[in-house]
Amino acid sequence: MDKVLSVENFTLSIIVANRAGALSRVTGLFSRRGYNIDTLTVSPMVEDVTMSRIIMTSSGDEATRKQIIKQLDKLFDVKEVKLI
Amino acid sequence: MKLNGAEILVETLIAHGVTDVFGFPGGTVINLYDALYDYQDQITHYLTCHEQGAAHAADGYARATGKTGVVIATSGPGATNLVTGIATAYLDSTPMVAITGNVASNLIGKDSFQEVDIVGITMPVTKHNYMVKHIEELEEIVREAFQIARSGRPGPVLIDIPKDVQQARCEFHGGKPKPLLPIASVREEALAAAAEMIDASERPFVYAGGGLISCSAGEALRVFAERIDAPVGLSIMGLTALDSRHPLKHGLTGMHGHYVASKMNADADLIIGIGVRFSDRATGSTSKYQEKTKIIHIDIDGAEIDKNIDSVISLVGDAAEILPRLTELVKRRENPTWIAQAELHRQEAKRLLAHEGEAQREQEQQSLLQQDEQQLLGQEGERRLEQRAPGTGFTPQSIIHMVRGFTTDDTVISTDVGQHQMWVAQEYDFCVPRTLLTSGGLGTMGFGMGAAIGASVARGSARTVLFTGDGSFHMNMNEFVTAVTYGLPIVVVIFNNGSLGMVRQWQNLFFNQRYSNTTLKRKTDYPKLAEAFGGVGYRATSLDELQAALDAAFAYDGPVMIECLIDINEQVFPIIPAGGSFDDMIVK
Repeated sequence: MDKVLSVENFTLSIIVANRAGALSRVTGLFSRRGYNIDTLTVSPMVEDVTMSRIIMTSSGDEATRKQIIKQLDKLFDVKEVKLI
Repeated sequence: MKLNGAEILVETLIAHGVTDVFGFPGGTVINLYDALYDYQDQITHYLTCHEQGAAHAADGYARATGKTGVVIATSGPGATNLVTGIATAYLDSTPMVAITGNVASNLIGKDSFQEVDIVGITMPVTKHNYMVKHIEELEEIVREAFQIARSGRPGPVLIDIPKDVQQARCEFHGGKPKPLLPIASVREEALAAAAEMIDASERPFVYAGGGLISCSAGEALRVFAERIDAPVGLSIMGLTALDSRHPLKHGLTGMHGHYVASKMNADADLIIGIGVRFSDRATGSTSKYQEKTKIIHIDIDGAEIDKNIDSVISLVGDAAEILPRLTELVKRRENPTWIAQAELHRQEAKRLLAHEGEAQREQEQQSLLQQDEQQLLGQEGERRLEQRAPGTGFTPQSIIHMVRGFTTDDTVISTDVGQHQMWVAQEYDFCVPRTLLTSGGLGTMGFGMGAAIGASVARGSARTVLFTGDGSFHMNMNEFVTAVTYGLPIVVVIFNNGSLGMVRQWQNLFFNQRYSNTTLKRKTDYPKLAEAFGGVGYRATSLDELQAALDAAFAYDGPVMIECLIDINEQVFPIIPAGGSFDDMIVK
């Protein structure tokens, strides 16, 4: 995008399969596409131990934020992505 | 029924209709190869010279058929040698399952012999990948891998199987392949909005790509384009989607796109992008690309929408489903003025390129006189430069046209990467989907030989043509040996200009003719090389010699190399410099 858009902070809730490599897939996506991770926490979900919830804060313009969500959605270990 | 891991894997491959695999054995896949030995009447394994060639072969097999290609490699270097092949398939969205062995579970993480974290390495270039930790998961993982490889936007999936998992035994369930993951249907309102925008446009232009090949929507494209009477430009991945004899087809668009296609693309007030990702090679400057036009984007991958360009309307889904519905909704129309514009551009192109022949002859004379270059090439080079009589018309274009005289519409053409690739994309009149195998996204030099092998195998040892350059061919020419071994009738046409032509062209146009490391001082004798490998080879310096070589090659039941000596100063035109716009097009 050549348009200049304002950079904003936002928080994502990402539910991933509690499998080896799932976190790596998520963080790897951010580094290779040049997205920012500002903070990150991971914990198993109380209601379903086969899943983990990643809470991440990131920053970027609107186009970047939309791309991040769509790219995360494409990962097979990612079950749900929500902007919170 | 209890089977070991290797047997479960092979049984599951068979259940998925796999009849041919490509690969190379090694320490951690001995068990798998032991199982393949038992199943050789059901699965043919093609042994290549290098794992990269096997990966490209599996990729070419998939591209030529739409079936999922399968490649096998051992751990460590075997696995890393696959990486370029997997990345090539990923960038061009080819369905492929790569199977690697790994060291036994108790040795993982110990930097054991031939241990490498191939799951970590290939994470960014696969749709998904797995390490199988328990034998009980194996069957389900293989089924899932095949499901993922072909669902939605296709792509490669890797399965890494430690040696002990291949040896362990468990119950085999003989499960059927999983159905492809469902693709959501496009809402009627979105389609109606798109149809309305198309009806309102004055100068609609269809830009279509590889997505149409993946979902076999070439025919749907033709019907749609005819209904709205819109000119069609294609990305290199979609070049075979429409028959070149169709009057609405204007061929390749983008950096080396045809003059008329680029001009119509630039003049359009609406671009309908179908199964394309508007890559930098297609658009150049994205801001200028969309400055004067609206864009409707149709693609199966929602993440492609608004990634590179902003669309006004987007339709996410299967083009084979969307296009017929959209065709129903749009008004049938004729655009005589708009279509006539293409004819005007065609006349312009003729005028602009009128003196090309003369200029080319002049250039050829010059190259003969360039003493420094002759010194660089050495005595052999001197001899070769002399062999090319200037003005004989032995140009890349005339070579491609002559080869075309020997092929049928459904002959698969494979290419490597560089000038020859663009010449083929511009000049060869592709008529049938899946007849062009080329590394469009990753731009992998060395792709073509393996891909040609895969395509030939997929089509029952069919005659296949590889167009390559002397630069690209040297990267994976070892696989010519594989074609000899299996008696595959692959005609390898080598454009030998003694240089890495595309980089040299950029050095010529943008780096003040500073030809850093692009002049090849090689002395490879291709006819002798072909013979040494067990094949046949010819050298052509004129169209008459080429004709004779092709007569022999197309009558021979095995692989043939034909070296064509072309001028080092031949360039690919038009060219739109990287990041430029249609206004920046250089035509000669």
